[in-house]
Formats: sequence, C-alpha cells, structure tokens
Amino acid sequence: MNELVGVAAAAAISWLNFVVIDTWMGLPEKPGVRGADYIGRDIEKRGGDLAGGFFQGNLVCSPDASAGTLLGAIGCYLMGVPEGGLVAALLVFIGNRLCADPGYAGTLGALSITVIIALASLAGMSPGLFVAGMVIAITTIQGVSHSRSSRLLGAIARRMDRYTDLK
Amino acid sequence: MIIHVTYLSGYLAAIISSIIISAILGLPLTPERPARHSWTPSAIFPTPVIALGLTAISIKLGVTGIYGADLGAVAGVLSAIMTAYFLEDIFPRPEDS
Repeated sequence: MNELVGVAAAAAISWLNFVVIDTWMGLPEKPGVRGADYIGRDIEKRGGDLAGGFFQGNLVCSPDASAGTLLGAIGCYLMGVPEGGLVAALLVFIGNRLCADPGYAGTLGALSITVIIALASLAGMSPGLFVAGMVIAITTIQGVSHSRSSRLLGAIARRMDRYTDLK
Repeated sequence: MIIHVTYLSGYLAAIISSIIISAILGLPLTPERPARHSWTPSAIFPTPVIALGLTAISIKLGVTGIYGADLGAVAGVLSAIMTAYFLEDIFPRPEDS
C-alpha cells in the first residue's frame, strides 16, 4: 500500500476510534479534574463549545481513548500484535487511575486499536502507519483550532446524547 | 500478522479465569450504571484488562507456560486477587467520586 494513502487512512480510522469512544464514555459531559474545567471554559470564552472544551480538557488531563489509541499503536509497532496493544492497555489503565479517571475510555481505546490494527494488517497496513496517523488525528483536535474543533466535538456529543448539562 | 494459537488460548484463558475467579471472590459482574462514571471494580473491568496485560508481558519475557492456557489461567487468578483485595489501596478513587 502507498505509504501516504496508508497514513491518511490510518489517521481517519484513528480519529473515528478515539472520538467515538471518548464521546461515548462521556468526556464532553463533565470535566474529570479541575484543569479540564479551566480548559473547557477558556475554550468557550474564545468562541468554542463548552462540551467540546471539556472533551479537549479531559484529553489533556488524563490518558483517554486518544492516548490509548496512540499507545496501543506504538505498542503494536514495538512488540507486535496483540502483545503490544494489551501491554499498552494495562499501562494506560494504570495511568488513568493515577489521573483520577476510572479508565474505561483509555483501555477501550487501546484494545479497540489493537483489534483494528490486527484487521488492517490483512489489508497490508502496518502499525507504524497508525502511529503516524494518530499523531495527525490528535493534531486536528488539539493543534489546529480549538474553537472550531470544540464546536465539532460538541455537535458529535449532542448527536450521541453526551452533551454537558453544566453551564 | 501471525497470532500464535497457543498464545491466543492463553489470552482466552486469562479473560475467562479472571472473570470467574473475581466473581467467586465477590466482585460484582458489572459496574453500576452509568458504567462510564463508576469506580467500582468488577469482574468485567478492570480484571480482564490486567490479566491480558500480565499474560502479554509474560509472553514477551519468554514465559509461555506449558500449554499456553495455563499461563493465562494463572494470570487471571492473580489479576482477580489483585483487583479484589489490592486495587483500591494501590490506586484509590478520588474523594469526590
């Protein structure tokens, strides 16, 4: 498979993986720690969406499905499928607990990307493509425009019935 | 991609034994609802995740057991004991949860 096409496909798959899991696990509903609250409200002040801001704040403050997806891909790249992904899931769970997070989103993200990488390998996609793809995917959320990406995340949260009740 | 069948049986044994042993040790089968906000350790989370991680680490360290499944079964028992008795002491839940 052409490397650039592979990275683009892996970025799209990784983006869907972590955004859907994190939204489903309620990241836009409320900030897990005080830092996520500050980030969410600051993004809202800059023209963003509060629920999307909480999502982004929670991503920063604890290893959620985004970190699980990235570390799962790195684990599979370094240690093979599925060992690397399973070790990554355990380490992400420990990291979650250290960051005042129950750990559902992070571990589910690592386990799901392990399954996805195993299936994608049948189409000739290597774990390395997913490492690069996930870096691009997280950059679209955290690194380009906070206000625009938070509005998109807020719209997804509303669609999945996970929008915040906080004001 | 090659997943060795012996290792696959080890992972399956880890999942099954961790769920069964943690249920025997008195952990609830599932967390209370909504599960995404629950801090209660249960048979389906995080016990199998710990068991799978321990099994994978053992395999990568070259400890594969005799039949593969025996390694997973031992990892499942250890993870169930750890989740039932030590998890909340090692990683306590936040006070306001």
